[in-house]
Amino acid sequence: MRGGDVAAAEAGSPRSPDLYDLSDDSDYAAAAAASDRTVMRTDPADRGSEETARVDVVYEKERVTIHPSQYGSGRISGKLRLFLQQGSLFLSWEPNEGADSLSTSSVGVEIEKYRNLYTIKALPLSDVRFIRRYTPTFGLDYIIIVLSSGLAFPPFYFYNSGIRELFATLKQHVFIIRSDDDPNVFLVNDFQDPLQKSLSSLELPGVASVANAMSRQNSLSFTGSNDESRHGATSSMSQYSSKQKHKSNDPGRDLSIQVLEKFSLVTKFARDTTSSLFRDNSGAHAYGRQQHEYILDNKATDKHKNQYITPEKASTPSATIESDPLPLVWGKQRDHPLSVKEWAAFLDPEGRVMDSKALRKKVFYGGVDHALRKEVWKFLLGYHEYDSTYAEREYLAAMKRAEYEAVKSQWKSISATQAKRFTKFRERKGLIDKDVVRTDRSIPYYEGDDNQNVVVLRDILLTYSFYNFNLGYCQGMSDFLAPILYVMEDESESFWCFASLMERLGANFNRDQNGMHAQLLALSKLVELLDPPLHNYFRQNDCLNYFFCFRWVLIQFKREFSFDQIMLLWEVLWTHYLSEHFHLYLCVAILKKYRQRIIGEQMDFDTLLKFINELSGQINLDRAIQDAEALCTIAGENGASCIPPGTPPSMPIETDGGLYVQEDEVL
Amino acid sequence: MSYAYLFKYIIIGDTGVGKSCLLLQFTDKRFQPVHDLTIGVEFGARMITIDNKPIKLQIWDTAGQESFRSITRSYYRGAAGALLVYDITRRETFNHLASWLEDARQHANANMTVMLIGNKCDLSHRRAVSYEEGEQFAKEHGLVFMEASAKTAQNVEEAFIKTAGTIYKKIQDGIFDVSNESNGIKVGYVVPNSSGGGAGSSSQAGGCCS
Ligand SMILES: Nc1nc2c(ncn2[C@@H]2O[C@H](COP(=O)(O)OP(=O)(O)OP(=O)(O)O)[C@@H](O)[C@H]2O)c(=O)[nH]1
Ligand SMILES: [Mg+2]
Repeated sequence: MRGGDVAAAEAGSPRSPDLYDLSDDSDYAAAAAASDRTVMRTDPADRGSEETARVDVVYEKERVTIHPSQYGSGRISGKLRLFLQQGSLFLSWEPNEGADSLSTSSVGVEIEKYRNLYTIKALPLSDVRFIRRYTPTFGLDYIIIVLSSGLAFPPFYFYNSGIRELFATLKQHVFIIRSDDDPNVFLVNDFQDPLQKSLSSLELPGVASVANAMSRQNSLSFTGSNDESRHGATSSMSQYSSKQKHKSNDPGRDLSIQVLEKFSLVTKFARDTTSSLFRDNSGAHAYGRQQHEYILDNKATDKHKNQYITPEKASTPSATIESDPLPLVWGKQRDHPLSVKEWAAFLDPEGRVMDSKALRKKVFYGGVDHALRKEVWKFLLGYHEYDSTYAEREYLAAMKRAEYEAVKSQWKSISATQAKRFTKFRERKGLIDKDVVRTDRSIPYYEGDDNQNVVVLRDILLTYSFYNFNLGYCQGMSDFLAPILYVMEDESESFWCFASLMERLGANFNRDQNGMHAQLLALSKLVELLDPPLHNYFRQNDCLNYFFCFRWVLIQFKREFSFDQIMLLWEVLWTHYLSEHFHLYLCVAILKKYRQRIIGEQMDFDTLLKFINELSGQINLDRAIQDAEALCTIAGENGASCIPPGTPPSMPIETDGGLYVQEDEVL
Repeated sequence: MSYAYLFKYIIIGDTGVGKSCLLLQFTDKRFQPVHDLTIGVEFGARMITIDNKPIKLQIWDTAGQESFRSITRSYYRGAAGALLVYDITRRETFNHLASWLEDARQHANANMTVMLIGNKCDLSHRRAVSYEEGEQFAKEHGLVFMEASAKTAQNVEEAFIKTAGTIYKKIQDGIFDVSNESNGIKVGYVVPNSSGGGAGSSSQAGGCCS
């Protein structure tokens, strides 16, 4: 993540107020107001125009260095400062003039161009959520600053030491406390934890009665209005909430409170049990029982009870790995795939999809019959408009085919002599050539020497890299394209579907990995929300970067499931039905499922990474989707607010600086 | 299976140089040219014997693509050995060695044993980097050097085992504190008949990494 962009985004775009608008809680209102003030404050580092405000430097350290991720050998040394202005504390970091200790001069030039991106002119400490200190036994000490928005700056390495003084100075000027869970985490402006808040303000009269109340609430949302749970605009829901006195009529607000209540209950269970989990093993068992009851309580309908007692069809390998004995099935039972007949019923005589929401719902719960994928995926991917007619789509296909051919001819027409002087093209083509022959070759469609479909993969990827030259080509793209081409069986149509998908997921492949970091950060927030003990465990074991979920997120579980399963999973994800970020809930669901093993076996980062890798082919997809659905529903607006705007697959937020522009040598 | 020691290895180097193929050749003794490209990291393991002691190699095969480096770096931590691989038919993969090495030096253990491998030596008719250049680079940077082929299996076994031998010697010489797992070494069960190289006394259960 590039510091400069973070700072720019922070200063430039006012925060969405509903990010904080979780409840009527006055602390939250205050926090939101405070952050609004921060945003409106004029930039104090704008030294040219500033006379009124005096700047008092209270801390200054040279050789505080960034190791930009995309340059293996590069580093940018600079000066870290804390300064006071108008009573507020600010942090700044400015790179030194000129390159330093670089292994090669070409890297030096590259770095030179971008050093200013990392500059932090004036970061108000009120925007900082916590600072984590790393003091590895081998290597340099460094810190990571995490903003309340969830964004983090790249690590600052202290070549001249000075971390201790930094914290000492901070302590004098802002409210900073050491985290109970991790002595290396320093919380800044620790506004009360929303979960704790909700727990204390609810004053739960006792688990049992609350559970009863919850089952009532749940039956409201699960039976009548499950579809609407994100918007809460159903009659049953407003009926429920009209009984309560609320300042606003916004049904979303009522729902968020309700969700908070539901959620706090789950959390309470989780909290109660981790403490016992650490005390002895029977605690874990108690946890199982408690949650068990909770589920039964909520799912007392016959249908769900049936499902609940259905013994897991544990195939031999997964039985050993899926150790969590809890049949945590709260989500709706999976439906059969959208059939040809059902699909026909969704269309009006001209071919418009009449009720796109119902269609997305259907696909979310059951997927699509394979014969229909060719047609339906184009809608899900946003290539076709739901309200387009057969005729319009036919026309579009013809136009797009011509457009595709035009882009393709751009590289097709590059002669051998021209290519000699076009290094970037040669490198890119070389990389794509190397990768398409290493993509899904065990699938019959791509099998064997001189397979024409492999050539088509290559042509589409190379054409895409001209169509979107800034993004170019990155490994992982072929993993997305292979199933699309397999379904479409048409070069141009596959290209446009792929291009539509990249509109959403292109940021996964940015050189600076910002799309990935945003998602992994959101994932960490979701786990913090939905499984605090697991979150704490990860924090204590230095696993908070969630790099062990990298492959899951980068290519949306492509390597974790079979080719057939992945087509199903992707169409489910692409509906954006419950959430655009359903894939992140899926991550949480899977992690949650194995949390007992992860914590019980005290997995460290390495072991965890290996464990997660080896889950490939072992995950029960239907169950995982159902669990994720339940988590998504439970998290509700709280979950949504864990995910900063612009996190893929959401469309990027518009910024003048072009947050998603590639700025490096692209291949 | 019980082992006297477990060594963590990483395989690093540019994309397409044949890291995954080398691993597969070493663990499964086969060459599979249509293996999937690596996203993130993949794992392999094999038992070898050194000085009559069973040693388990846990091998991390990392993705070579430049843009994944910020992620793959986090996998270097605690590796006892590294195979740094380039492709003798592609000059640029050799040119990037310095940056890989710098990365390894920065993010891995200082005592890590690095073996430089010029892979695809079966394609010597397309050679773009001479044996001498590889040797020279290794000499300058204090690495062990070999040319190998994942396809013909030439030197593959040797590369992994020689690295293990070097690590083993470092243990014998007391360079590693084997009780500190951040060195990429775990001490396993005491094996019967082991005459005990000093380290056996601190043995513990193999644990979860098997
Ligand atoms: N002739 C020959 N080809 C090889 C050899 N090793 C690998 N290859 C080929 O090189 C290609 C790349 O090999 P991989 O093992 O996938 O490369 P990698 O280093 O793992 O690449 P990434 O996973 O992208 O980092 C494969 O398609 C193999 O066919 C070798 O020793 N000889
Ligand atoms: Mg590989």
